[in-house]
This record gives sequence, C-alpha cells and structure tokens, in this order.
Amino acid sequence: MSEPSWGLWGTWEETETFLGKEIGQSTGPDPVEKGSIRRWLEPKEFACDIHTDAEAAKAAGYEDLVAPASMVFSYGIAPYWRPGDKPAQIDDEPTQIPIPVIFDVPAPCDKSFATSIEVEFFEPLYPGDVVTCTSKLVDIKHKELRVGKGAFLRQEDTYTKQTGEVVAVSYLDIFRFVAPESEGASS
Amino acid sequence: MSAAQTVSIAAVKAGDVLSPISIPITLQRLVMEAGANRDLSLIHHDSRVAQATGAPDAFANTYFLMGMFERLMRQWAGPKARIRKIGPLRMMVFNAVGDTVQFVGTVESVDKAAGTVSLDMWVQSARGKTVTAKAVVELGD
Repeated sequence: MSEPSWGLWGTWEETETFLGKEIGQSTGPDPVEKGSIRRWLEPKEFACDIHTDAEAAKAAGYEDLVAPASMVFSYGIAPYWRPGDKPAQIDDEPTQIPIPVIFDVPAPCDKSFATSIEVEFFEPLYPGDVVTCTSKLVDIKHKELRVGKGAFLRQEDTYTKQTGEVVAVSYLDIFRFVAPESEGASS
Repeated sequence: MSAAQTVSIAAVKAGDVLSPISIPITLQRLVMEAGANRDLSLIHHDSRVAQATGAPDAFANTYFLMGMFERLMRQWAGPKARIRKIGPLRMMVFNAVGDTVQFVGTVESVDKAAGTVSLDMWVQSARGKTVTAKAVVELGD
C-alpha cells in the first residue's frame, strides 16, 4: 500500500487562480434514512428520539423524523466506489476524504491539516432528502507556523437538498505547508 | 428525551453549565465513527499512518467532534431546540486512542428577543483543553 497524499502539488501562482472559484461539487449517494442516522448516533452514545422516531419529531415541531444537524457533512460526501470504477489494487494510494481545497487546488505543499470549522444550519434534513455540497476557495492567508511554512486555505461549502433549499453553509480552514526539513525537496 | 423536556429561554442565564459528557476514544469507536460519518481518512483509524504525521495514535475526526457537541447541546436544550450554528470550532490537540475525553459547555449569553442562546464549549482530556467551539441554539418560549 502506498502512502496517502496530503495535497495536489503546484505553485502559489496556480493556487491564486482558484481564489473565488468553485473547486468541487459532490452529491451523496444515499438519501437521508433511519438506518444511517442510527449508525451515526451509535458511536456517540447519542440518545434522542427526534432522530429515531417520527412521532417524537413531529411533537417537537418537525415535519418528520429529522437527521442530526451535523450529519449534513456525511450526507454530502460522494461514494468511495461506484459501479464501473476500476478494481482496486493493493498498491493504490489509500482513499482520503475528498476535500477539494487539499486535493483539487494545487499548492507548493506536501502536508495539510484542518484547524478550524464554522457551520450555520438552515433547513432540516428529512428522510428521502439528497444532499449536494458545492465548494469554493474563498481565502488564502500565507503564514509560517511551528510545523512549517504555508498558507491557510478557506473552503466555503454550501449544502443544498434536491429542492434547492440550503441546509447548511460551512467554512473550513486548512493549513497546507511544507515542513522545514522537506522544503525544497519536492518540486 | 421528550418534547416536554425542552428548556425555556426564560429559565436560561449566562453561566449556566451543560451536563458534561465523558467518552473513551478507542480504535473500535473510531472505526464505527468513520464508517458512519464517511470520513475514511487513514489518520482517523490507522495508528501507523497517524503516528507518521506526529499524532500519538489514530485520532477523532472533525465530524465526531461536531456530532458530540451536537449531543451535548441537544441533551441540555431538548428536542424542540434548533441548532443554528457551531463554530468557530478549533482543534488544538489530538483526541487520540486511549484518551477519555470530556465535552463541556456553558451559556455565554442569552438573547431573549431573538430566542437564541450562545454557548461556549470545549473538549478536555489528560492532554488539557483539546478543542474549543462556540455555538448558537434557538430555544422555545
């Protein structure tokens, strides 16, 4: 198995050309449904009947059983495999969560990590809803941190459902950098 | 938890404390979480890859932290409350396999006219304060 990649390589000039532009769009393969909600609640030991029982949710003012607000991220992720994809090989690069600001925007960096996220929630998610996430690069801030020199890239994600209604808007800050010892080693 | 348990904004004041939640981070929990939240990045379930990035072990992902903050808020505010905003959520220290982490929160301010409450929340463990998060919840009368 090869090592996972930490971002698409390129120059800062190339990074700048993506500023203000759409850098990715994904639609979750599965509509909101009870089973995926239960499996999401399970590792968090999260007991709340508006997420598991339609009658309880209606009593709380919802139209139907409602998904947890922060599940919107998971429902917007594209499938990791779909029919027609080439068969996996043992030496393939491992699949990472598809974050466009890391994997679709070039930068002269070989490492990255998320530092901060902020999300506002609007329309609730009900069974049958399908989520699309549209990503934009909205800010680039160059910075030198203890771990290395690089830049904070801010990704705006707008999550919509099939009706076009906005479910959530989030801002994710990713620090992409090169560690001091590897600076100049890659090109 | 039933609809009758929803907290009333009239009863909330700055400084109120949300009942904290402790949860152990095990590799099994991280695997269950990755499968459920679809963040399959190796740093969240493969100790070797996580350690190669400088982490002590595989560590909890952002979606788990978000979801646990939602649980903290939901348990306090009740089923009729609407979660309007989470963030900025800042990750400062790893929440890794072997850590027992505690999700904690207090009421920062109350806007009775808007019907909203601002919360100040964080995660703490033997490593110290590992994550901080602000949030806004809309409450009923």
